[in-house]
Amino acid sequence: MAEEPVVSSANDDEFKQGSEPGACRNSMLIATDSYEDIAQYLKADVCQSDVPNGKSTSVVGDADDASETSTPDQTVKCQNRVDPEETSVCSEQCTQYDRQEVSSDDSAVGDNSEETATTAVTETGQNSPKETLPDISCINRQLSSLSASDGSPHSVDTDQVCQPASSDVTEPSVTAEEYLSPELDYVHSAQWKNQDKHIFILSKAGKPIYCRYGDEDRLVTLFGVMQALVSFIQSSKDSIRYIVAGDHKFVFLVREHLILVAIAQTKESSTHLLLQLTYIYNQVLSILTLSQLGRIFNMLHNYDLRRLLSGTEKTFDNLLNVMNQDPSFFLCAVRCLPLETSVRDTVAQSIAQNAKVKDLVYAILITNHQLITLVRMKHYFLHPLDLHLIFNLVSATESFKAAESWTPICLPKFDSNGYLHAYISYLDESCDACLLLLTVDKDLFFTLSDCKRKIMEKLTKHHSLKAICESIRRGNYCISEAGIPELRHFLYKSRSTAQFTSPKFEVPYTAEEDRQRLFRLYQHLHYRIHCNSRPLKIMFTVGEYETLLGWVTSGFELYAVFGPLVTKPLAINSINKLLKWIKKEEDRLFILNSPTF
Amino acid sequence: MICDTKLIMSKKSDISLVNFFVFNPEFGPKEGEEHKKILFFHPPATDIDTKIKNVGLCEAITKFTGTFTDRPCQSLHTQKLRQLFYEPEPNYWVVLTVTVPYSTKTKDGQTYLEYHDEDVQDSVYEAVLHQCYKMFKSLEHFFSKYLITLKLGQSDMLDVFNGIHFLPLDKNMYLRIQCFINLLEATFPHILYTAFLYQDQLVWSGLEQEDMRVLYTYLTTNLFPAYMEQEFQGLKATSSSSSLTSLHSHYGKYILGPTNLADESSAGRIPRLYINKDQAVLECHLLVYKAHSASVCLVIDGNYGLMFDLFKRLDKFLGPQLSALASDIGDYYARKPQSSSESQFKYVYFNLMNLAQKTSIHTDSRKLAVTGVSPDVIKLISDLNEDLTSCHIQDGEMIIKTWNDCWVVCKKADQREVYIILNQKNANLIEINEEVKKLCASQFTNIFFMD
Repeated sequence: MAEEPVVSSANDDEFKQGSEPGACRNSMLIATDSYEDIAQYLKADVCQSDVPNGKSTSVVGDADDASETSTPDQTVKCQNRVDPEETSVCSEQCTQYDRQEVSSDDSAVGDNSEETATTAVTETGQNSPKETLPDISCINRQLSSLSASDGSPHSVDTDQVCQPASSDVTEPSVTAEEYLSPELDYVHSAQWKNQDKHIFILSKAGKPIYCRYGDEDRLVTLFGVMQALVSFIQSSKDSIRYIVAGDHKFVFLVREHLILVAIAQTKESSTHLLLQLTYIYNQVLSILTLSQLGRIFNMLHNYDLRRLLSGTEKTFDNLLNVMNQDPSFFLCAVRCLPLETSVRDTVAQSIAQNAKVKDLVYAILITNHQLITLVRMKHYFLHPLDLHLIFNLVSATESFKAAESWTPICLPKFDSNGYLHAYISYLDESCDACLLLLTVDKDLFFTLSDCKRKIMEKLTKHHSLKAICESIRRGNYCISEAGIPELRHFLYKSRSTAQFTSPKFEVPYTAEEDRQRLFRLYQHLHYRIHCNSRPLKIMFTVGEYETLLGWVTSGFELYAVFGPLVTKPLAINSINKLLKWIKKEEDRLFILNSPTF
Repeated sequence: MICDTKLIMSKKSDISLVNFFVFNPEFGPKEGEEHKKILFFHPPATDIDTKIKNVGLCEAITKFTGTFTDRPCQSLHTQKLRQLFYEPEPNYWVVLTVTVPYSTKTKDGQTYLEYHDEDVQDSVYEAVLHQCYKMFKSLEHFFSKYLITLKLGQSDMLDVFNGIHFLPLDKNMYLRIQCFINLLEATFPHILYTAFLYQDQLVWSGLEQEDMRVLYTYLTTNLFPAYMEQEFQGLKATSSSSSLTSLHSHYGKYILGPTNLADESSAGRIPRLYINKDQAVLECHLLVYKAHSASVCLVIDGNYGLMFDLFKRLDKFLGPQLSALASDIGDYYARKPQSSSESQFKYVYFNLMNLAQKTSIHTDSRKLAVTGVSPDVIKLISDLNEDLTSCHIQDGEMIIKTWNDCWVVCKKADQREVYIILNQKNANLIEINEEVKKLCASQFTNIFFMD
């Protein structure tokens, strides 16, 4: 191949691993699961829990050093969040449940084998002997009550009788009449039904936990039906995945203690919807931890989890909104704030030197869902799934802006059973950058607060703060900077670093509607390319409004958009130019080295 | 794609039929009367509780989705099964359940089953279900047999197209056939419609497109293969039946109709075909007559009492003429040079307007043999087809390189779709594009594709 591959192949041999733009230079900053691993993780059986089992999650980076690295303290005591609206929740957690070391559930660690599924099903039966197998005719009667246009009184009766699996315990304060009649209004309201994407979280017993639109209490029957469908199909040793009806998909994620359901008419693939449900499930874990969930539901399988989650609805709402427009979630990658290498290095140095505290695991500087820098403890990597939860927590919590905060957070990919304690503080009132210091020690607030002060001094002294503010203010770059007129927009993900870059949305994607359409096109392209059983290397599609090119190699993933009339040679030429441009800019767009304390 | 070295995968299990049933939730609304909802259930040996449970679940699923959308429920994906739903008339649900293939995997010493959900494509099995329904409606008598002969593992985009292979003929030959059919219909006025096939390819049909589609599926996937089988067996055994043909000095005989024209009892029951005419369903008799490789399907008015005499008169008319036509078509094809570029590429072509389909992937229309193309690539074509359909793309193009370096190019223009598979590992996108341009110029000259 010639040295200058001008109109060269879309041939993946061209970029050998390590030389493609954005490839990491030393050990990884962020742990990467390939998308296929995540897809595999999504396919996991109903009864398979998310308890990390060795290599499948990349909590621990170097397998060789596995013995050396202790798993984070699992007995960490939950702290009262400084965040005022959440204080009550957490204190309740502390008083109600005596924390005890919980060994990870052995039966749950297994792979999704037939055997495991079977045993786990029987186990659930033993744990909650009151649970009865749902009778399908009862479900149907419930459904009739949902679809009946007149809230005839007899449906109320049957409903109460047929409340599946939890008929023995009904919420004493709410009578059937009270919730049923307003519910009928809901389910029959076209506005409610026509929402693009409903999300429901419920307990295994069918208790409502969260719904994106409306009031859970007025949807009790619907929650009951969803639970009944799950357990009815489970009773024949199978598990429900999703239902398709027209443009609607009804996707179920069944985890050990929770059932999550997405009802979407967005034409997203079931894989993508399942991934979103996984993010939401992880969001629940990040508030409660898996072991706490287990303890609660083992004690009271009919427990109303809303008591522990009240005040956190906003994080769920925010997560759902962001997932609908930010490609970083389906790419399982992180976007970095463009910054000169020298500045970024100085920032990292300032943090590393001034936060030399024992038990400090991560120091993360972020802004608006972008990573500025990450300093980590040796051997501990941060998974993109976890980092997104941190991004979300910060962007959803206004009160962090007001004062320094101290909050427990569980990072499910890091350790789904324990909390890390996060010191959270914005750098400066003038600057939208937020510093997080994550530790396993619950008593470090004042130490870390002191660290932050010192870090701030350093950043101010080196004018790094100014540079960061400048970059945040400037916002994302324009496609015109790459100097490729044919190219409208692109997403480029470096697979080894799990980072990606993309320019602003510009004409013709400035209107919300067009941007959404492009987002869905990207999602679809991503889905086809990463299809589990039929993965692709290249997909080039010419459509009515644009031409799309997806190209995946072992080192990178590229999704590019051109006008509908672009010729293939021109498109390939542009891609080659783009790769060169990214290579040139890689120091600015990606974080290529990974500082440790 | 990126395989764990410790991962061992066994061969995948096949996709097989679990059940097929028809129900109406309005029937038997009272408790204890659920069985009244079931109108048809295959396999018939299923116990009543299982039947009721199955119907109950479908009812729940369809009602559940109904609270969110007015569009009917289409499919239920579970880990082990796939269920397809079709509501052809209000409250009448037709349901097909198939297994999801699995393979045994061993990872780090642990053995488990992995289910391949994406191997069962909704679009393909929905098409199979719709075909089943049409078959159920048009040719009820042989429906159970049809279900058993379904080769679900081999279902692919041809089921989605559900198209027809046409036989291209020159003007003279075509007019001769047309003339023959006109004469036939004029002589026997009770014949409502006629269709003429050569081997598995359609030459002429007077039926509505939709009815022809069903009839064509029946003929090519069931009647012809079964007859060939029988013929093959018969040839080995005796040549007793050939006495009939030698008597009349032609090669014509009924393959659907009386087996022996000397014996009135051999007529048996003539199957009924239900066809659409002026928005009403018409009950007809179906006869199929064959000479050499040519077959004529006769759709006769159902009100007309079939007399044995008619069979004899038809035989006398059809026998010599059809035999002559068949051998002439055969000669015509023997003279025509075969295209030699077969080996370089494979293709599938479909035209929605006249339902014409052509394929070089399948060696015959029964899909018994698939040549040189991996099943995943065939599934990929269905994926692409689904993309075209679901996005309502009128004109478009897709070029794809799979993980094992096979190229698939799909072009759609004006309701015509063509999928070309090229096994050129080292080619790049631009070279493939050039190659396809050349192919289209030489092979699909009469089709206009945008570049």
